[in-house]
Amino acid sequence: MPGGWLEPPGRRRRRRRAFSGPAGTIGWHNGCRILSFWMARRIRQAATAEQRRDSPEAQDPYVAPAGHYDEFLAAPGIPRRHWRKLTATMSRLGAERFGRRWQQALQLIQANGISYNVYGDPQGSGRPWPLDPIPLVIPAEEWNSIESAVAQRAHVLNAVLNDFLGEQQLLKQSGFPPDLVFRNPAFFRPFHRLPAPGGSEGSGPRLIHYAADLARSPDGRWWVIADRAQAPSGPGYALENRLVSAQMLPEAFQAARVRRLARYFQSYREGLLSLARTGRDQPRVVLLTPGPFNETYFEHAYLAKYLGFPLVEGGDLSVRDNRVYLKTLSGLSRVDVILRRQDDTFCDPLELRGDSLLGVPGLVGAIRAGEVAVANGLGSGMLESPANMAFLPAYCRELTGGGLALPSLATWWCGQDEARRYVLNNLKHLVIKPAFPRIGQSPVFGAALSADERAKLALAIERRPEDYVGQETMALSSAPAWNGHGVEARHVVLRVFAAWSGSNYEVMPGGLTRVAGSGDSLVVNMQRGGGSKDTWILSDHDEEPIPLMPSTPQKVNTSRGADLPSRVADNLYWLGRYMERVETDARLARALMPALSGECDLGGAIAVEAAVQLMAAYGHLPKELGDTHPLEQRRWLEKALAAMLFEGNRPGGLLWTAKQISRLGWQLRERLSTDTSRLLGRLEKEFQRNRKPPSGRLMAEMPELDHAVQTLSAFNGMAMENMTRGYSWRFLDIGRRLERASQTASLLRHGIAAGPAGPYLETLLQVADSTMTYRSRYYTAMQTDLVLDLLLNDEANPRSIAFQLETLAGHWKRLPEREARERYPVDARTIWELLTSVRMAPVEQLSEDSPEAREELNELLTGIEDKLTVLSDTLAVKYLSHAALAGRLGAV
Amino acid sequence: MRYQVSHITRYSYEAPVSSCHSELRLAPRVTPHQKVWRRSVSVRPKPERIDEREDYFGNIVHRFALFDSHSSLEVHSESIVEVQARPLPLPRSTASWEQVRDAVRAARSGSLFEAIEFTGESPFAVGAVEIELYARDSLAPGRSLLDAVLELNARIHRDFKYKPSSTTIDTTPSEVFKTRRGVCQDFAHLMIAMLRPVGIPVRYVSGYLRSGASYTGAEASHAWVSVFVPEAGWVDLDPTNNVVPEQGHVTVAWGRDYGDVTPVKGVTLGGGEQKIDVEVRVIPATS
Repeated sequence: MPGGWLEPPGRRRRRRRAFSGPAGTIGWHNGCRILSFWMARRIRQAATAEQRRDSPEAQDPYVAPAGHYDEFLAAPGIPRRHWRKLTATMSRLGAERFGRRWQQALQLIQANGISYNVYGDPQGSGRPWPLDPIPLVIPAEEWNSIESAVAQRAHVLNAVLNDFLGEQQLLKQSGFPPDLVFRNPAFFRPFHRLPAPGGSEGSGPRLIHYAADLARSPDGRWWVIADRAQAPSGPGYALENRLVSAQMLPEAFQAARVRRLARYFQSYREGLLSLARTGRDQPRVVLLTPGPFNETYFEHAYLAKYLGFPLVEGGDLSVRDNRVYLKTLSGLSRVDVILRRQDDTFCDPLELRGDSLLGVPGLVGAIRAGEVAVANGLGSGMLESPANMAFLPAYCRELTGGGLALPSLATWWCGQDEARRYVLNNLKHLVIKPAFPRIGQSPVFGAALSADERAKLALAIERRPEDYVGQETMALSSAPAWNGHGVEARHVVLRVFAAWSGSNYEVMPGGLTRVAGSGDSLVVNMQRGGGSKDTWILSDHDEEPIPLMPSTPQKVNTSRGADLPSRVADNLYWLGRYMERVETDARLARALMPALSGECDLGGAIAVEAAVQLMAAYGHLPKELGDTHPLEQRRWLEKALAAMLFEGNRPGGLLWTAKQISRLGWQLRERLSTDTSRLLGRLEKEFQRNRKPPSGRLMAEMPELDHAVQTLSAFNGMAMENMTRGYSWRFLDIGRRLERASQTASLLRHGIAAGPAGPYLETLLQVADSTMTYRSRYYTAMQTDLVLDLLLNDEANPRSIAFQLETLAGHWKRLPEREARERYPVDARTIWELLTSVRMAPVEQLSEDSPEAREELNELLTGIEDKLTVLSDTLAVKYLSHAALAGRLGAV
Repeated sequence: MRYQVSHITRYSYEAPVSSCHSELRLAPRVTPHQKVWRRSVSVRPKPERIDEREDYFGNIVHRFALFDSHSSLEVHSESIVEVQARPLPLPRSTASWEQVRDAVRAARSGSLFEAIEFTGESPFAVGAVEIELYARDSLAPGRSLLDAVLELNARIHRDFKYKPSSTTIDTTPSEVFKTRRGVCQDFAHLMIAMLRPVGIPVRYVSGYLRSGASYTGAEASHAWVSVFVPEAGWVDLDPTNNVVPEQGHVTVAWGRDYGDVTPVKGVTLGGGEQKIDVEVRVIPATS
C-alpha cells in the first residue's frame, strides 16, 4: 500500500537508501512507520511507469495524476520552488507530528464552532467546516497577474450591470442579444434605474463584492470558471482558515513570507462605510442574513463580529418614510448601509418575490429614495447567469477596448444560431447548463449521457435554445491534500475575492481554495462533501505585519447592549421560558413515576390515586378516573406519563418543548457560548434517543429524566456564571422567572387548591425542588401551611413565587426606556401588585382544609397566573412586538 | 365615452395588524386612447403619506405604510376617465406573424425594441407544449398577425368556460388549459402563453368594464391582453368576452402578467385570516 508525504527531492532520495526494507514497512526518515493510506485507483494508475519501477507497492511520495496540472510537482519527484518552505517544515515534522498538530487544529475548529450548513442534511444544520491542513501555495509573480485580472473583471462586470440597469446601450448600440437582460429571471423590473450603492443613479459601483472561481488547465493557465456577483460567500471562511493554518504551521508561515489578509478586510470595511449616503457622522452598517438555516450562516455571524457590524435578519429591520431602521430594545435606530448576504430577489417581499416573506418590506423604496445603500446593488444576481459568461469577452472589448486578462471558460449561448449549431455538434464534449439558472437545475455532462439521453437533450435545446449554454469542460489541477494518514493529490478550485474599497477594487491576497471530496472526484463542491484550504500567496518583499485580529475592540458599545435586536431578545425570552417549562415537566414526571411501582409506602412515593388526581387536575387525565380500580388507574397513569414524555408533536409536550429549545438555541448560537449551545442540542437528543418504551417499562426512563434535569441545571449554571449581565441575560432570566412563577402558581392551584392537599405535599416539594429546604427548615412532617409558605411567599426560597416576582421587579427597573409616544407603557405596577398580593396572602387561613379556603386560594393563584400573562403580553408589545407572523394582502 | 370609476377594496383581519406596507396600481394611466380627467386614491386608516411614482412599465403606483395597530383596511380609488374609440386596420392587411416576430427580434430601438420585453416567458404566464399546439392551429404560415390573434381570441372564448372562483391567482395556464375553465386573468395568461413562445409581443392589461353592460366580468377588476401589431401599435383583445375593447374598457395598468400590475399588494405583520370585499363601479359620467 502506498503512503505519501511532501519532501524535498534530495531528502527523499536519502531516505530511500536508508530504509529499503521489506515492502509495506518502509519507515519515515526518523524511524516512524509510515502510515498507509488509501489512494484513488485512477491516481495510482496515473503514476508513471518509471515511478512504479522506482517504488514497489511500498511507500511512495506524493503522486500527481496524469493529464492534469499539479500545483506541487513540476515533474515526478521534483517539487516546484515556491513550495520549498512549506515542504521543509512538513518534512521536518513528519506525518505523525503533522497529524498531531492537525488534531489540535481540529479542536480549534470545533471550539470556534466553525460550520457550514448542508441543505437537506438530516443531521440538521451545522456540519463542522471541512478544512484541509495543507495550504495551496502561489508564487508572487503569478499572483500579481491574477490580482490585476480579477480587479479588471470586477470593473467590467460592474460596468455591464450599470448598463443593464440603466441605459442598456450594450443592447441598443452594441447589438448584444436583448434576451440576456429581458429573459434573465434574475432581472426583476424594479431593479431598473435603482441608484447604485456607490454613487448617484447609473454611475458608481453597484458590484461592491465580487469573487471569481479560478481553475488551472493542464498547460498551467488559469481560467475563470464562474463569477460570483450576488453575495459572494467565502471571505470569512478564508479568514478563519488563515487563523487555523497560521497557528498550525507557524514556522512555514513565517519563513515563506505569506501575504497578510488584514489590509484587505480594512478596505472591505472602509469600502462599506464609504457607501453611506446619508452624511451622518457614524454611519451604521448592518449585515443582513437570511438566518441560521442558510448554508453559510456561520460566516455571516463571523464576518459581522470581525467587522464590528450587527448581524440582522429581515425582521429586525423596518422601513419608515423610506428610511431603514434597526428595531432594538431601546427603539428604532437608523441604518445607512446594508451588507446583504441574501439574494437580491428576496430582499423585499413587497416589490420583489411575491412567494416569500423573507426580507424587508419597503426596502426597494428606501434604496430608490437614496436613503440606504445595499451592497451588492440589487440586480447583481443577473451577472451570475452562464449566458452572460458567453459574452463577457465581447463586453470587455466593447467597454474597454481590450481583452480580458484572464480568460473565461469557453461558453456558447444557444440563443444564437451559430453557437447552437456548435453546441449540438459537440454535445459529447461539453457540459450543458441552464443559461439562466433556477433553483433545482444542475449542469449535465454530455459525456456522461447515453445516445438516447443526448438526443433528448438536443431536442430540448432545439425547442428553447435561449435557455441553454454549452461550456467546455476542463481538467482541474491537483494539489496535495491530507487524507488522515498522509498526502494525496486532489483537484482544486480557487476562489479569489475583490472588494470595492471606496476608490478601487482591492483583491484579497489569498482566497478560498476548495478541494474535491476524494482523490478521484472531479466535482469540487462544499455542498457535496468537498473541503477547503488556506491559500498562501508568497510575497517578494517583507510585509509590515498588521494583526489579523484587531488588538483593541473596533467599536465600543456605549449603549451597553440596548441596541440588542428585538428578535434576539424575543428568542432569549422564550428560551428562558421553555427551559423552565421543560424542567418543571421533567420534575413532575419524575415525581409521579414512582407511583407506577405500586410501592407507595416506600420512600415517600406518591400513591397512584394521588398521582392520577394530580394529573387530572393538570388536564392530562379525565377526572372520573378517581373512582376506578387502582390497577386501571395505574394503566392510565402510565399512558399519560408516556404521552407527556414521548409524543413530540403535541404542543406543550416535553419533547415538543425540547425541540423549541433546540430551535431557539440554534438561532441564538452566535450569542451563546459553544458549550451552551451544545448543551441545548443535547437536550433534544436526550429525549429523542429513546422510543416509547413498551407498556409497563416506563420506569426504565427514570435515568433519562435525571439526565434532562441535570442538563437543564447545567445550562442554568452556565447562564448564571458566563453571561454578562446585559440585556441578553436579562431577557433570558425574565423568561425563566416568569415561567417559574406561573408554573409554581399552577402547581399550587392543582395540588392544594383543588382538593385536600395531604397526599401531594411531598410531590409538590419535589416538583418545586424544595424538599431539602423544607426538611432542613422544619424538621417536621408535611404541613400544608408550611409548604404553601415555602412555595408562595418565602422570598428566601429561590423556587418561591415571591422570589421570582422580586427578581422580575429588579429586571424591570433596568429595561431601557422607550420613546414617550409608546402607547403601551409597561405596567411595572402589575409586578408590584402581584408582589403585594403574595406578601399579604394569609397563608394559615388559605391552608385550612375547607372548601372556602380552597376557593380563596384558587382565586389568588388564578389571579397570579392571569396577571403574569398580561405581563408577558406587555413585554412583548413593548420590546418584542415584531415577533408577529408576517402576512400578505390577499389578491382580488 | 366618459366614465366615473370607483374601486373600493376592504380587508378585515381576524387579528390586529401592527404594520402594513402596501403598493397600489389602481389609478388609470393615460394612453393614446384614454384621457384621465381626475383621479384620487384614499386609504383608511389614514397613512401619514401616500407616495406616487411611475413604475418600470409607466404605470402609476401609490405606496403607503401603516404603523398603528388596525383591524381593517380600506382602499378607495376614484377617477373620471374618457375612453376613445380606436380605429383598427383591416385584419388581413397587416404583416404576417412571422414578419412581426422577426422585426421585433432584430429591433434595437423604438417601440419594436420595447416590445421585446413582452416576448419572453414571465412568472404567471408559463407556457407549455399543449398550449403551443393549440395556438398553432391559428398560426398558419404567412397569416396576418391581427387576423390570427382575432381568431385565437374567439377560440378561447368558445373553448373555455368563464367560471368565477374556479381558479386562484396561482393557477397556471397549463391547469386552465386542462380544466377548460377560469376567469378573466386566466384567459389573459393563457393567451399570453400561446403567443409569446412563437415570439409575438403580448402584454397583460388590467382595468375595468363598464358597469351594467352585457359583458362578463364587470363589477370587479378585469383583465385582457394587448398584442403588438406594428401597423396599429398595441391592439387590445379581450378573450373573456371575445371583443376588441373599444369604449367599454377602462385601462388601469399593463405589464408582462398579473404580477406586474397587481392592483393591491401588501405585506402585513400580524392579521391572521383576512376577509376581502371589493366594489367596482364604472358608470357613464356627464361631461
